[in-house]
Amino acid sequence: MSTPILRMQGICKSYGPGIIAADDVSFTVDAGEIHALAGENGAGKTTLMKILFGMERPQSGDIYIRDERVLITDPNIAMAHGIGMVHQHFMLVDDLTVAENVILGIEPKKHGLLDREAARALVRSMAEQYDMSVDPDSFIRDLSVATKQKVEILKVLARRADIVILDEPTAVLTPQETKRFFEQLSALRKAGRTIIIITHKLSEIKTICDRITIMRKGRTVGTYDVASISEQEISRRMIGGDPSPDLIPEPVDPGPVLLSVQNVSCIAPSGKFALRDVHFDLRGGEMLGIVGVEGNGQRELVDILTGLRTAYDGTVILAGTTLRGMSIARIRHQGLSFVPEDRMTVGVNLDGSLLDNATAAIRDDRSFNVGPFQADRKLAAFARRLVSRYEVQHDSLRESIRHLSGGNMQKVVCGREIGICKTVLVADQPTRGVDVGAVRTIHDQIESLRRHGKAILLISSDLTEIRTLCRQAIVLHQGEIVARIDDLAGCSEEELGLYMLGLKRQDGRGATS
Amino acid sequence: MKRLSAFLTLLRSRVKDLLSSPRLLSAIIEGGRMLIAILIAYLVAFMVIGIVSDDPAMAIRWFVLGPFSSATEFGEVLKNATPLLFAGIAACLIIRGGNFNMFTEGAFYAGGLVTALVAIGFEGPGFLAIVVPLAAGTLAAMLIGYIPAKLKAKYEVNEFVSSIMFNFIVMWIGIWLISNVVIDITSGDNATAPIPDASRLRILIENTNVTTGLLIALVIAIIAYLYMFKTRFGFRLRMTGDNRAFARGVGIDVARAGISSQLLGIGVAGLGGGVEILANYHRFNWKTLPGFGFDGFMVAIIAKNRPLLVPLAALFIGYLRSGADLMAFNSDVAQEVVQIIQGLILILVASEAFFSSAWFRGLLAKRMFRRKRFASATEVDRHA
Repeated sequence: MSTPILRMQGICKSYGPGIIAADDVSFTVDAGEIHALAGENGAGKTTLMKILFGMERPQSGDIYIRDERVLITDPNIAMAHGIGMVHQHFMLVDDLTVAENVILGIEPKKHGLLDREAARALVRSMAEQYDMSVDPDSFIRDLSVATKQKVEILKVLARRADIVILDEPTAVLTPQETKRFFEQLSALRKAGRTIIIITHKLSEIKTICDRITIMRKGRTVGTYDVASISEQEISRRMIGGDPSPDLIPEPVDPGPVLLSVQNVSCIAPSGKFALRDVHFDLRGGEMLGIVGVEGNGQRELVDILTGLRTAYDGTVILAGTTLRGMSIARIRHQGLSFVPEDRMTVGVNLDGSLLDNATAAIRDDRSFNVGPFQADRKLAAFARRLVSRYEVQHDSLRESIRHLSGGNMQKVVCGREIGICKTVLVADQPTRGVDVGAVRTIHDQIESLRRHGKAILLISSDLTEIRTLCRQAIVLHQGEIVARIDDLAGCSEEELGLYMLGLKRQDGRGATS
Repeated sequence: MKRLSAFLTLLRSRVKDLLSSPRLLSAIIEGGRMLIAILIAYLVAFMVIGIVSDDPAMAIRWFVLGPFSSATEFGEVLKNATPLLFAGIAACLIIRGGNFNMFTEGAFYAGGLVTALVAIGFEGPGFLAIVVPLAAGTLAAMLIGYIPAKLKAKYEVNEFVSSIMFNFIVMWIGIWLISNVVIDITSGDNATAPIPDASRLRILIENTNVTTGLLIALVIAIIAYLYMFKTRFGFRLRMTGDNRAFARGVGIDVARAGISSQLLGIGVAGLGGGVEILANYHRFNWKTLPGFGFDGFMVAIIAKNRPLLVPLAALFIGYLRSGADLMAFNSDVAQEVVQIIQGLILILVASEAFFSSAWFRGLLAKRMFRRKRFASATEVDRHA
């Protein structure tokens, strides 16, 4: 148990002057353990694992596998050394079957042709061995998120990985699925595989992991036996101080209905309903959470509300005017703003400067233009106010936004959108992949927007986030509202999980909001 | 003495601050990269000259120093640079808007032809004899260029393909016109009537062929810079070009921004064609596409799509070409050698990984770590 299977030593990685992702990091994993790699976002966990998997090259440092020094320059070499990685975003081909995905690149052959039967047999035997039931012949596009994750793990195991890296594996799972997933991980451990989990969820570390390595700001804080360290202690070492007290939403009197969604339906490319008869009202001063496993209509709903999607049935009324036929610019003019889920492509323009990104939504505003020209000084002042209010770590306003960490980027997006919101804010996964400090800043600002009488729609796959911020929520399953919850405090996570999985639904109950 | 050393410390810290500013650093890195690319390209060209020439030293001397041998020769550099400047600005506007519309080539042709025809027919008073034909040429080019731009915005017709096709349509219509309709038989050529003197651009520097066209080009470069970086329209154009999804999300009409980026670029190219005709030609007699449109994309890429750097890039290519002309005239090496240099520079500049800023940064980071590790080691000692 205590022989190190993997040792990383003195790893340094910088993405440019002043941008240090790993600063002399050492990391040791024993064979057959489940090892948590914990830290805030931007602490360097993912970078370290990308280096191990050959996706990034460190400037210096050595990697030893079973006490043998190895040079990993690309993922194929990593796999040859028995290292496999399951990424946060699944890398599966939707139009191939489970078996085809698993054997892609390592196809069993018979007479030079693909041996499908052997592929199926391989998947079946592995599924049985590791207690991960999955049908080798179903297509990836028809699978649930949890099953897709199983396929990803099988894919890694089929490549004979002894060391399996899992990047935030439970971020997309419901509470029930998470429990099941942990049982499978235990089975893997029993089978002698070593597992590294990148995570920042303390409760999970406590339940499943043997040891934990904590990282902060590109350095290792230390490695501990999970049994000998408390959750509070882990949290303190991750943040480097005591966590700030919990946010308690203050109730305010509901204002007029600002957003009214009436019997909205739309069809997915597959021909199925992506949204079906969705209806709810949202008043000023209210925050409504949209709960659901990803891919159950949230994206379509957001796209319709923000004008990105124009093909739908039903009516949406924003501050008294129907949304149909309005351009995105008009919708924004009506005071709706939104924090998109996909930060890297829709949220920010990676080729633009911090200034460009912070001010993108106010460029047409009369007060920021002098004749044909932009009021550069005013724009800069606006951006400066934003970065100081949200404590965005940066060198200069003119620097490329690419150089900012994910959390700081997201603060810029939230600052831009919250700042111009006049009626409704649609926040789609506003704090995904954001470090704890930034989460708090963003939550505080959203909450203060609500207190100022704006209506907020919060879409999040993180139940804790919804429970922290919202009193009311609706649960989406396969595009339908299966539950409306008036008071989230009176509804357990398990119950929410049942709704999310479609195992339970409240029928014939009126709207809450 | 004390004061001096204090001053030196201050100076050192100032220089250090300046050097550690990331923008300056990346500017230095980019400049260095460009310099290395140019050096490598020249080296290869010299090797080629060495192989093909009986007197390589002579050929190289004309090639490198020839353009500086007299005011007239340097004037040729400026003359050659002028249409490249227009074309480079045009390409900047188009590329920054996220398009690859090659109609700048046809725009040069159409702009030149229409400018010539209006100059011949209009004969207005004073400076109008110049402004009206140029405006007409610009508008004509934009009018034709609107078709591939609109086709892209509305039906997602690939503008790269459609605009190249349009180049040939325009060229053949033009050749038909100057061979049949507006032909001046007395010229002994397929050409228009002579352009009246009142419409011809004035010589700017004596004993050279540099005309006021160069000034127009520089003004256009400045206007293009102001438009792209100081107005909201330019902001829409850049954001759309960088990232359509983002631009759409923040409420920019990306179809419109795309069309205006292409139209403006094509307009600048059309103006460039008109200026070229009024500066250097007695009659319009182009029977092929002039090639400036394509050159423009090269100039823009070398200038990293920055309008204020385009004049420098255009000047450099103009210098290369005048040098090649002089070498071909005075030695046994063909001027096509210049194509080797242009090609190599383009490849080296365009290949992101070649001495990329990441490569340089990696180098810097390594040094930084070495220093830091030393520092943290002493820190640990102190704690112990």
